Amino acid sequence: MPSIPRQSDYWRFSPDTPIVIDNGGSHFRIGWAGESDPRITFRNVVQRPRHRSTGDTVTIVGDHHDPANLKYFDCTRTSYRSPFDNNVVYQYEIMEYVLDYALDRLGADLKVDHPILMTECICNPISSRSKMAELLFETYGIPSIAFGVDAAFSYKLNQQLGVCNEDGLVVCSGLTTSHVIPFLSGEPVIDACCRTNIGGYHVTDYLKQLLSLKYPNHASSISWEKAEELKREHCYVASDYQSELQLFQKGTKEAEEKTRYWQLPWVPPPREVGPSEEELARKAALREKQGQRLRDMAAAKKSVRISELENELQGLEDLLDQLEEVDEDEIPSILSAAGYVSRHEIDSAVLRVTQSLRKAKGEPDESEDKMDEASLAERFPLVNIPDDMLTPEQIKEKRKQTFLKTTTEGRLRAKQKRVEEELLREKQNQEEEEKRLENPEQYLEQLRAKYKELSEKVEQRKRLKTNGNRTNGNQNSSGNTGRGERLNAAQRERMRLLTTAAFDRGKGEDTFGARDEDWQLYKLMSKDVDEEDEGQDENEAELARISSRLQDIDPEFVPKFEASLLPGTPEFPRYRPLTCGKHFQHFLSAVELAIQMSCKYFSSPQWSEWIKQVSMRWSGSLSAGSLQSMKPSRAECAVLFS
Amino acid sequence: MEPEVVRSEMVLPPVLGFKKIQMADKYPKGQSRARHWKHLKQLLQSENNFQSYPPNEPNYLNIESPPSMYPSKKFCDITGFEAPYVDPRTKLRYASPEVFKHIRMLPDEHVQRYLTLRNAAVVLR
Repeated sequence: MPSIPRQSDYWRFSPDTPIVIDNGGSHFRIGWAGESDPRITFRNVVQRPRHRSTGDTVTIVGDHHDPANLKYFDCTRTSYRSPFDNNVVYQYEIMEYVLDYALDRLGADLKVDHPILMTECICNPISSRSKMAELLFETYGIPSIAFGVDAAFSYKLNQQLGVCNEDGLVVCSGLTTSHVIPFLSGEPVIDACCRTNIGGYHVTDYLKQLLSLKYPNHASSISWEKAEELKREHCYVASDYQSELQLFQKGTKEAEEKTRYWQLPWVPPPREVGPSEEELARKAALREKQGQRLRDMAAAKKSVRISELENELQGLEDLLDQLEEVDEDEIPSILSAAGYVSRHEIDSAVLRVTQSLRKAKGEPDESEDKMDEASLAERFPLVNIPDDMLTPEQIKEKRKQTFLKTTTEGRLRAKQKRVEEELLREKQNQEEEEKRLENPEQYLEQLRAKYKELSEKVEQRKRLKTNGNRTNGNQNSSGNTGRGERLNAAQRERMRLLTTAAFDRGKGEDTFGARDEDWQLYKLMSKDVDEEDEGQDENEAELARISSRLQDIDPEFVPKFEASLLPGTPEFPRYRPLTCGKHFQHFLSAVELAIQMSCKYFSSPQWSEWIKQVSMRWSGSLSAGSLQSMKPSRAECAVLFS
Repeated sequence: MEPEVVRSEMVLPPVLGFKKIQMADKYPKGQSRARHWKHLKQLLQSENNFQSYPPNEPNYLNIESPPSMYPSKKFCDITGFEAPYVDPRTKLRYASPEVFKHIRMLPDEHVQRYLTLRNAAVVLR
């Protein structure tokens, strides 16, 4: 959208030419008195985003700016703000930004020395009007101000153009409110005017809601602005709502012509730009460097450990040498000084240290290999020796060995079993393959039949479990099952437990809770069906297997769960007549009321003349096909009062 | 500020020659931005002279039209056609058996949203 250029002829207007401002809920228009069109029109909104690089908060008025330039601003935490609440201005800070922008675009540079004519809603609260006057006088220093109702101005213009007569009715529908103002001999009858809090905003919102309900997948891409654009471009007011409906219901050719197909703008997903050669090389080098560092660190650690272990070994060997040399009776004192209990312990420590040293140096661990090669009997020598031939310590050792032996055997058995199963499955597959090659047609048939059977079983099971609660959108989701609704398995089980409990306990005196087992009942009752039984799992596994097999060999096969998604749900006409039901009934009655009230001011002959001349002023925002029976209702009124 | 942003003149200049009081003087930066403006409801309430107004003179409150006396027309919630039927379970209005099937397929949340659209949803608090 183009930006608004600054007007350059501001100085040409004499100070007594008024500036005219139409301060509307959706659009702000400003221009010079005496000209037929406003100079500047923009949406009456303000956005205050932050500039991305400098971090300054800036003010952007209107939404007509080039979206390409908006990328320099961080708009995520700001949204469009309007100075209006309903049809009354309440946010004068925002109003000031809007006025600043409008006067700046109009070309004002040193002062605003023109009278201003500004529109406001009918019966504007006094505080709102006084604040507006205060803002204009004190901040802009304007010489004078006049307020007026836009609908009345419009009527007067239409009267001048000869579109309507002295007497008439204005129906002015704005963004959030609609007014009905009767005119009598050129003067508005304020006593008889009416407001209904419905406007173009509600129509757009309704359209947006409907679209996002119909296409939940695209709900995020249907914004209010988009819906507004759709409404303005494609919607229309039906002259006779009933017959228009019939048209679409019958699905005639005319309806087909009126149907609009509209596609959401498709944004291609951002293409992944692969890293360049250079970058790849850089990354590889970096990785290599890091790897080298890690390797170096590991090597250093290893050498430290090796030297540590060597030192330890040396110390132990020295200790052993010492023990060799000294007398028998000195041994205990040396041992206790070194922190060992017996010579045997030192030996085992030496063994341990040498083993870990070997491991650290990366030499093959001899003992491990030996252990693997050795038969079970050799590894556990004590197991087969009777208890009475062993010392208590050995008996302890024997127990340990027995335990180790059984677990090792178990592992081996499991391994064996796995291998066997693998073989069996291989064999089965081969057999199946043979069968298939023998008679492909029959085999496929069989497989399909089996698939069908299984999938039905699984599905039924599921249905029983959930009782189809999910399918029909009703109010009772769980627990609150009405009469005639079937209970699911868990609920049935709970009911059964409750009833049995009630009848059992009800007989004699109440002893519930005397025994601990009584309380188990609660556990049973609160158990969920989610605890799946084995058979079900098996069925599902089998189903998965068959379906994968079918997918491999049958090109036409589509798994059932996906298949159910393919044919679309029944399609409804893409055009959906907009009906706001209650709201618009309300709106119509406002019109009627205004007519009734203004009746007081008419004589009978005047009335019939008047009703003919009722003019409607649509500010365009309500141009959707929703003001259904405007005409019939008015006809009704005419019958009623004339 | 980028040259194209400056060229497009989309950003409102902070100081304007024709103003007597500049924005920065009126709303100094140090003060909290959240300057409270009275909403329309508060505005109307504070204007208690509405009560002192003679009842036969129009003001913002009394020109609002009362709710309609006429029964609302019944339209299908899904298609917008005239709806002779109501689904007793979901309370949605529908025009034809096909729509009924569709209604029964709808998730609970959508049913509620359709009802809200015509102000018929039961709000449980």
